[in-house]
Amino acid sequence: MENALLLGLNTVWQIATLGFVALGLAIVFGLLRIMNMAHGEFVMIGAYAPVITTQLGLSPWMQIPVCILSIGVIAFLCERLFIRHFYDRIFDSLLATWGLSLLLRELVELTFGRSFQSVISPLPGTVLFLGISYPLYRLVVLAGLLIFFTVLTIWYRQSLTATRIKAMVANPVLAQAAGIKTARLSANVFVVGCIVSGLSGLMLAQLIRVEPFISLDYLLRCFFVLVLGGLGSLEGLGIGSVGIGGVQTIVGTISSQTGGYLTILLVSIFFLWLRPRGIYSKN
Amino acid sequence: MKRMKIIVATLSLVLFTCGLVMAQTAKIGVLIPKSGPGGLFGPSSQNAATLAAEQINVRGGLAGQKIELLFGDVGVPPAEAVQTAMGLWKGMGVKALIGMHDSAVREALIGRFAGQVPYIYTPVYEGGECSTSVFVVGETPDQQLKPVLPWISKKEKVSKWYLIGNDYNWPRDTNKAAKGYIAAAGGSVVGEEYLPFTVNEFDTSLQRIKSSGADAVLITLVGGASVNFNRAFASFGMAKQAIRLGTLIEENTLAGIGKGNSKRLYSSAAYFASLQTPSAKKLIAAYTKRFGNEAAVLNTLGQSTYDGLLLLEALAKKAGSLDAKALEKAAEGVSFSGPRGTATMRGKHVAQSIYVADGSSGTFEVIKSFDNVSPGNNCK
Repeated sequence: MENALLLGLNTVWQIATLGFVALGLAIVFGLLRIMNMAHGEFVMIGAYAPVITTQLGLSPWMQIPVCILSIGVIAFLCERLFIRHFYDRIFDSLLATWGLSLLLRELVELTFGRSFQSVISPLPGTVLFLGISYPLYRLVVLAGLLIFFTVLTIWYRQSLTATRIKAMVANPVLAQAAGIKTARLSANVFVVGCIVSGLSGLMLAQLIRVEPFISLDYLLRCFFVLVLGGLGSLEGLGIGSVGIGGVQTIVGTISSQTGGYLTILLVSIFFLWLRPRGIYSKN
Repeated sequence: MKRMKIIVATLSLVLFTCGLVMAQTAKIGVLIPKSGPGGLFGPSSQNAATLAAEQINVRGGLAGQKIELLFGDVGVPPAEAVQTAMGLWKGMGVKALIGMHDSAVREALIGRFAGQVPYIYTPVYEGGECSTSVFVVGETPDQQLKPVLPWISKKEKVSKWYLIGNDYNWPRDTNKAAKGYIAAAGGSVVGEEYLPFTVNEFDTSLQRIKSSGADAVLITLVGGASVNFNRAFASFGMAKQAIRLGTLIEENTLAGIGKGNSKRLYSSAAYFASLQTPSAKKLIAAYTKRFGNEAAVLNTLGQSTYDGLLLLEALAKKAGSLDAKALEKAAEGVSFSGPRGTATMRGKHVAQSIYVADGSSGTFEVIKSFDNVSPGNNCK
């Protein structure tokens, strides 16, 4: 019983965090059709926010503003210099962002070096939850993510900005003719997408190692989520996260971690082959 | 015509001087990872080798010749690493090579060197290397575990071991050796798991460790995987249930794991930067003086190139040259003293001191040393 509960909580944790880490890619790739190979780098730079905050001598509460500001500036510059030339050029965007990912990783390595950074958890220790002891930080993050995704879903269904974004994604030319400033909207969407990626990195930084190469850990799994779930909708992101995160955790627990990883590879190949649009696709 | 003579005379003078300088220096190739996942250890390896060469040169050099170090980047796939090494050997004329890199690169190199050039392999590895003119200063699993497992089992009163490592030969060979020593100490193995390098989530492994009832975990995960595992281990409060012993948890890994996540975490190695012996303190003082306070922190991998050069010095002294065959003949029984203590060549490896350090405080404190630990039988 205790084991099943622990497995359940671990699975929910994996799905929720994977969903949040993949959200930034879902925005940039799913809506703007920029196949962002530098997604992992934005996650990684976000994970450096606690390091930057400590080096600036600021209070730990400043980690979130520092993360938003640093990623925001970098993403804005990237959009102005590179990305805006690659809307509607999906395969070119893959190569361009791949180059961008190398550049960003090298810059981080030049600034902070190669060594592992030590990020001290703000909420260490475990608490009793439903009769089992579970890390406090994870429970707090889970509660936060639940609120965040609920608000996001409502906003995406009802707000005017969301409607404009949807119009732009569905038909950019018509949207522009209808008076939507698509160039500016795209830029904003890109920057927000990158900031979300950065915040997911900040969330993980308390739990994982922080060094320039962690970017590679997340890129592939995030693409798998979108391959499975489908592009351009929150429903697709949800289905993909449940599929990839859930399958990996459950198969990993029942058989072995190698088995879990192999299964998500097979699932992804299967979907790319037979159902390239994913499970939930609007078109 | 006269001008021609002057040119010829100048040229021959230049060549003669070059020749003299050449005769007095011995070029030594040092193969270290400057890129790739091992790149983290590049700076400390390079500094340690540089310092060793400078100190040996002050003492008179290798068989009367001053050392000139040439560094090659081998943080690349084996085939490319071989190109780099061959460039140093055949192209630049190095007389011997020191290598601090993974086993895949070592095996590729040995195939090409074929015993023609002395080659000293320095990092921790799985043991079993016995090729001609290859000498090893790194720790073998036998050294890191044989004295340590019984001692720590008794000290911490643990007997149920869970073995977790990355899926390649070093962890598997280490655990093979560990099983024998655990059984000999009266303990049992309650779980064994190997993870691919792509796995960065350890929830399922931690759940297994928890339900296995293990009171000790032997960690052979490397680098980033080790950091992630240990952070997750601590976040679940597992330090209450089990101690952790790692055979490749060095200073960088511990820094990544972080203060507060390293309770009851032990590491077994032949070198720690916090070693308090006079010779180890002397190295740290010289290192800081030479490279400054901000220099890459020393660790058992980075520091190993220093010992590699000390071994080369001792070998060259006994053999009277840097000839591969002469070194091979002279090797057995050669002894040298360095920051790690006294080491003696036994079967191409060194019998050396092994230290156990406690990482609980976030930095290593050496709590136990074992002297003259045999490297085991590596020539099977």
